[in-house]
Amino acid sequence: MDFSFTEEQELFRKSVREFCEKKIAPKANEIDEKGEIPREVLDDMAAFGLLGITISQEYGGSGADFITAAIATEEIARADISMAIAVYYLVEAGWGFLINRYGSKKAQEELLPDVTKGKTFLGIASTEAAGGSDVAALSTTMTKEGERLVVNGSKTFISGVREAAKYGGGYVTVVKTSPELAHKGLSLCYLPVKDVPGITTNVFKQMGRDGISTGAIIIKNVAIPAHYLIGDWNNGFYYAMEGFNCARPLVAAACIGAAGKALESGIEYIKERRAFGSPLAKFEGMQFQVADAYAKLESARLLVYKAAWMLDQMYTKNRFSHKEINKAVAVAKLVAPTVAFDIIKDVLIWHGAYGYTKEAGLEKGLRGVASYIMGAEGAQNIMKLIISRELLGKEFAPY
Amino acid sequence: MDIIVCIKQIFDLGQIMVDTATKHPITEGVARKISDFDKNALEEALRIKEKHGGTVLALIGGAKEAAKEALSMGADEAVIYSADSDSLGTATILAEIIHKIKYDLILCGEASIDEFSFQIGPRLAETLGIPVLTYVREMELKDNEVVVERNLENRYEVAKARLPALVTVAKEINEPRIPTLLQILDASKKTITEVSPAKPAAGVETLSILAIEMKRKEVILKDTENLARVIISEKS
Repeated sequence: MDFSFTEEQELFRKSVREFCEKKIAPKANEIDEKGEIPREVLDDMAAFGLLGITISQEYGGSGADFITAAIATEEIARADISMAIAVYYLVEAGWGFLINRYGSKKAQEELLPDVTKGKTFLGIASTEAAGGSDVAALSTTMTKEGERLVVNGSKTFISGVREAAKYGGGYVTVVKTSPELAHKGLSLCYLPVKDVPGITTNVFKQMGRDGISTGAIIIKNVAIPAHYLIGDWNNGFYYAMEGFNCARPLVAAACIGAAGKALESGIEYIKERRAFGSPLAKFEGMQFQVADAYAKLESARLLVYKAAWMLDQMYTKNRFSHKEINKAVAVAKLVAPTVAFDIIKDVLIWHGAYGYTKEAGLEKGLRGVASYIMGAEGAQNIMKLIISRELLGKEFAPY
Repeated sequence: MDIIVCIKQIFDLGQIMVDTATKHPITEGVARKISDFDKNALEEALRIKEKHGGTVLALIGGAKEAAKEALSMGADEAVIYSADSDSLGTATILAEIIHKIKYDLILCGEASIDEFSFQIGPRLAETLGIPVLTYVREMELKDNEVVVERNLENRYEVAKARLPALVTVAKEINEPRIPTLLQILDASKKTITEVSPAKPAAGVETLSILAIEMKRKEVILKDTENLARVIISEKS
């Protein structure tokens, strides 16, 4: 067993940290306050090879493995603890990988180079008004009409709706193609959203990660070319689960990145801030909290990189079954957001009244990480069901 | 244009803590990095190569990780050697290695940011018998000459020298590039050579390094009305 990163991964972390400190961190407050990621930040990220990092080199990506992608996620979230940029980055890394793996050659050539250049946004559209966890109950449909595919329905709580409508791009979209077959009647397609007849979007006001929009997409008789089908007809459930397995370790990496940065700044603060004649860090009560926070963070971090490592092993060496991957990924996604939320909350409290101000820069992290406790990229209770299903067996699955 | 860039790997000074009892710096577990101005020197070499062609060799006092970083930035090859010597010794080691290499231009940072001796560049040029231009904030190559703008105490000086020459660069000359993932992966295909030149006898031997003790006066003012007066009286 070897817990070390490769020399290249260590060097990449150093590089990406330097990049993030120069290009992202100085703009983090502005991104949260204005509710938008400045165009130049996205251009810089694309030029540095961060956007669509897992996409293969033939389409302008770096063909990064998931450990490397997780390193970048962690570093991006350290620089912008609101998570906005991390979300933008990780959905493209996770779902871009899926199109790169299962999309038609024609769709890959048409779509992926613009994602890696940062010209267009690529996201995931799964959740609907009736819920996101019960994918078998989704009601958006796709039918074959001659040479084209026609999509009808709506998607909601979708990240990047405004960005996709503004810059172009679209979504890996989960649709029903054989409603009578429940989850075995789902397919995946690529759904463009900018200037597409039949598509309307709206953006929600949300609690956090304001730099990237969240909203809804209404889809009325939208015709898309047949090559936008991703993978085989009616096999979409399995591709979607695979895509979530790719995106979730990155979600967890973003959470520990934000929490790690918060903890570091908290430690600096309590070493300087004095009360009753001593630095706060001298108080035993503080030291216990610091140790607890670090222990929780390190535990979550190990789970994140174990899940990413297992994915890499699966894709490069055909090791580990989907069941093993499902379990490891679900554990990382279950633990990291909660741990991160608790750490940022504690660090915020260490700052006293100052922690409650925008100037302290911590509250945006708390609001951002909360989205992954609420359920973005998979609800926490669904993670528990996945873990239980793998531990108890399918026959005990409640649904 | 074949360029050699002299690079020193140093401790990341921002991470060094001090033992409060002994005043010794604690370097255990502290990350190392390429000294800042040396990175400017490498960046300048890469820009010259991009404009005029040629090669860039990174000559590094330090470990393989610094060589990997230099190669990731774009150096064609790297040579590493042990850096444990004083300024005279280091310049002697560098000269011994460089004697065996064909070059047109040598670039150094104006100083390493851990010791700030400003001596390596001039000492190396002297040993090699080539002209040296120090504190350079702008440079250009023209007709087998290097034309530079130098930062001096209260003026800028424009000067030139015939090649081969040695130039030490200041921080403002450029902003070093940050290697991307693909550049890092490509760098693993490049050559790193390790050399072990004989260590010259030290001219100056460092006996100890202790942190400067900064004692705070801890003067507490009850109001700010007399703040300026108190500060002035403290200064005088």
